[in-house]
Amino acid sequence: MGYGQIPRLRAFTAKLAGLFGPRRRDSDFDDEMQAHLQLLMDRFVAIGMSPEDAAAAARRQFGNTTLLQEDRRELRTLVSVEDIVRDLRYALRSLGRSRAFTAVAIATLGLGIGASTAIFSVIDNVLLEPFPYKDAGRMVFPRIHDTARAEEGERQGYTSNEFLEFASQNHVFDAVIGSSDDLVLYKNGEGVEQLYGADVTPGAFEFFGMPALYGRVMQPADYQPGAPPVFVMRHKTWMARFNGDPGVLNKIFVLNGAARMLIGIMPPRFGWFDADVYIPETPVPGPSTGFAGLPARWFLLGRLKPGVSKAQAAADANVIANHLAKINPQNFPAHFQVLIKTVGDTVVAQLEPTLYTVLAAVGLLLLIACGNVANLMLARATSREKEFALRAVLGAGRARLVRLLLVESLVLAISGAALGVLLAWGGLKSIVAAMPQDMIPAESVIALNAPVLAFTFVVSILTTLIFGLAPALQAARRDLNDPLRDSGKAVLGGFRTGRMRDTIVVMEVAVSLTLLIGAGLLMRSFVALREVHLGLQADHVFQTLLPLPADRYKTAAQVSGFFQPLLARVKAIPGVLDATESSALLPSGGGDSKIEISGKSHDNEWHAMLQNISEGYFRVLRIPFKAGRAFTETEIHDARKLAVVNETFVSSYLRGEDPFGRRVYLAGLETLADPVREPWFEIVGVVADVTNNGLQGAVQPQVWVPYTVTGSEVQALLVRSQQTPMALMNDVRQAVWATDPGVALAFPNALEDRISQQLYAGPRFGFLLMTIFGCLGLVLVTIGVYSVLAYATARKTHEIGIRMALGAERADVLRSVIKAGLRLVTSGVAIGLIVSLLLGRAIQAELAHDVKPYDPLTLAGTTSLLIATGALACWIPARRAARVDPMVALRYE
Amino acid sequence: MTDAKKSEVLQGTLDLMILKTLHALGPQHGFGIARRIEQVSRDVLHLNEGTVYTSLLRLLQQKWIAAEWGTSDNNRKAKFYSITARGEKQLALETENWERISGVVGRVLRLEGER
Repeated sequence: MGYGQIPRLRAFTAKLAGLFGPRRRDSDFDDEMQAHLQLLMDRFVAIGMSPEDAAAAARRQFGNTTLLQEDRRELRTLVSVEDIVRDLRYALRSLGRSRAFTAVAIATLGLGIGASTAIFSVIDNVLLEPFPYKDAGRMVFPRIHDTARAEEGERQGYTSNEFLEFASQNHVFDAVIGSSDDLVLYKNGEGVEQLYGADVTPGAFEFFGMPALYGRVMQPADYQPGAPPVFVMRHKTWMARFNGDPGVLNKIFVLNGAARMLIGIMPPRFGWFDADVYIPETPVPGPSTGFAGLPARWFLLGRLKPGVSKAQAAADANVIANHLAKINPQNFPAHFQVLIKTVGDTVVAQLEPTLYTVLAAVGLLLLIACGNVANLMLARATSREKEFALRAVLGAGRARLVRLLLVESLVLAISGAALGVLLAWGGLKSIVAAMPQDMIPAESVIALNAPVLAFTFVVSILTTLIFGLAPALQAARRDLNDPLRDSGKAVLGGFRTGRMRDTIVVMEVAVSLTLLIGAGLLMRSFVALREVHLGLQADHVFQTLLPLPADRYKTAAQVSGFFQPLLARVKAIPGVLDATESSALLPSGGGDSKIEISGKSHDNEWHAMLQNISEGYFRVLRIPFKAGRAFTETEIHDARKLAVVNETFVSSYLRGEDPFGRRVYLAGLETLADPVREPWFEIVGVVADVTNNGLQGAVQPQVWVPYTVTGSEVQALLVRSQQTPMALMNDVRQAVWATDPGVALAFPNALEDRISQQLYAGPRFGFLLMTIFGCLGLVLVTIGVYSVLAYATARKTHEIGIRMALGAERADVLRSVIKAGLRLVTSGVAIGLIVSLLLGRAIQAELAHDVKPYDPLTLAGTTSLLIATGALACWIPARRAARVDPMVALRYE
Repeated sequence: MTDAKKSEVLQGTLDLMILKTLHALGPQHGFGIARRIEQVSRDVLHLNEGTVYTSLLRLLQQKWIAAEWGTSDNNRKAKFYSITARGEKQLALETENWERISGVVGRVLRLEGER
């Protein structure tokens, strides 16, 4: 009976249904057949046979039941377990026989799968599931965006009044909580140590939905007036400071001079606000003082009601903010808009493009790996032609052969995946070490986990299909007779699967070039960033914040009463060249202030960055003066209203005019807890620009004024020394304690390290990973080119022998093999160049301003690198071919 | 040995015979089909009756026949098979094929014999 295409499809679907359908159909048939046998037997008994004879006769007439059952199973099922086991055993045996092939294939796949697993772990833990909190996807915060400015507005902190207004008047949040920075001095024996605290409003822990690891979290009762003061500690801090000693639980600690009981240790992944300790605090209406004498600011976090979109929330928040702006216009820009951001937006935004670029790169790498293995399989399949033909002749169906080869591929892929997981596990540690720490949410733990392993599993199945299917189909398509007749040595270049292998190599080269160009561009970009002149000399500078206890340091006189003796003490430390006060840790330019300039009128708002300093500032950082002079020690001591501005300030607001004698009005100083009255400052100096807006941002106008004009600001100490900066830390701490034992160093660091971490770590991370993966790609491609050529020349030994016997020179043979190889490489290069140019726009965002995606130097460099490596990969098989002894080659016949 | 004179049933022809049987007699159970083929072939064909069931499964998968539980003449529960519309179409097609091929084969065999 003719079984055409459609009936075959129908049979396939029936089998597919049989795969999931009830198993009872087999027993139905058994019952039917039993009944049939019984009926036959009855007939034989009826014609006078004995029951035994009748049973035997019935069985004879019915036929072999076992055989029938097998036939039926074959009809009904796609794959039987026994077949799979048989295929598996066969695959292992056959792979074990060609060890070199197996090793290269598994290593190649392991590299590809390992790299993609590692990167996917990072992406999963940093981008996809960074926060362990309840409904983290609905946790959002409002941000006031000044529509007059291009960049997204800065303000995301709210006064107590604003916080209470948002919390009570909104219609879009299930719950609203606030967190506020709180530098906590923890009294530890003779001195004090700095802890980074977060004040959290009632309901904060219910909001996060995480129970404590030990003890308990804050409860509503802890917020009641008169409740015993308590706090909760983060796991990391507990491990680092108390070695994970459970005995500290329920102990009393002196925090900022007040006794508090430690009631709970949070689980390791709780890291909200990146704080060490969490302190209950209820916002009350009215002005309040927070960190460094600045008005208290609450970072507001709301959980969107189910089904409420960010746009709806923004509309609602806009209404509230506009109401607040009417009451307190000075707290809001003239024109603004409220943006709603999710917590994920804050931390990962910078890292996201880098990570996805790298993931794409790793995907390409995996493709190259698949290409290589496919090629190796094709080559192997070609030399196994006879084996397959024999199997086919002996009755193996096409599907059966394909399945056999796919099982082999699957064994390779699974082994590769196992190796890959091992590699990823090791590699993750180095990736995490290279990652820019500030960009990773404190909550995310980068590790292999269930989703990542599932990803790896899916990847390995996919790779099996990619590299296994083509060779399997090719092998199974063969004509039965052909290979059996063929002696296995093609004459005159005729091996049939050649074109497919060539295509794969060309594609590999193209992909690898794309990767290399990407890596090259990122490297160029990184170098370009390194060459950006910061405008200051960052080496040998130690800096630290010195948060002064708010109760004893309120006025300018109190603050300078601390800093003047401290600066004298620090300058006396051996090796210290100079020291200065500063209201900001570098590299950031301090706060922003609205300004006016005497004798100038303007329509739009004028802004400048504002920083308070002492006279040593420009000497410590070696910032050169363009005109005028620095403050003198006396001017600082007398808190004279003088200002130094940067060149951009002059070119933005006083272009072509004499800045000296002009006075600048600094609005920001009027609203401090210790306000400056009549904040008009006379310009006495102009300094060269210093990067104050990131490496790629335009320098902002900046103003420096004496720190002695106000008692409320952030206070930091910057020290230039001869020795390595961090070696100073102990001496500086002693100097601080000698001045006031109740003050601790906060965020002490070496300026150079901090710059490298804040400005270069991101680009360096991207370029490092891309370079590593680019090099891996190059190695894989080299293996690919080599293996294809080696295989081709080995198959052609006979032909080469004939040619040489007929008078071909060794050089001719060498040339022809290298030419064949280079033809593949150059075709791949051409395609790779085109693809890179097309993809250029995708990578543009990652690059420094003056590096273009078609940067000729990068293109030329990577192209020649690839061609040179390709030539090397051709050279070895070519030389082997040229060494062929015609006599030996022909004797094989 | 009378068995030696019986022909083995050709694969595929059994499918055709079952279709024809169901077409001619209406719904039948497996035993009934086997009896009918035995009867019609007048003991010329040797039928391993178990293969009927393999054939039935194959026909079921192609949806050329359908199966239904019912009660046989002697009150046993049995599965009854009936030909579907699709099966009727296939039967017509296959019958035509068969007649053409068997005609050709017959002619060729006669030629052989006349030589």
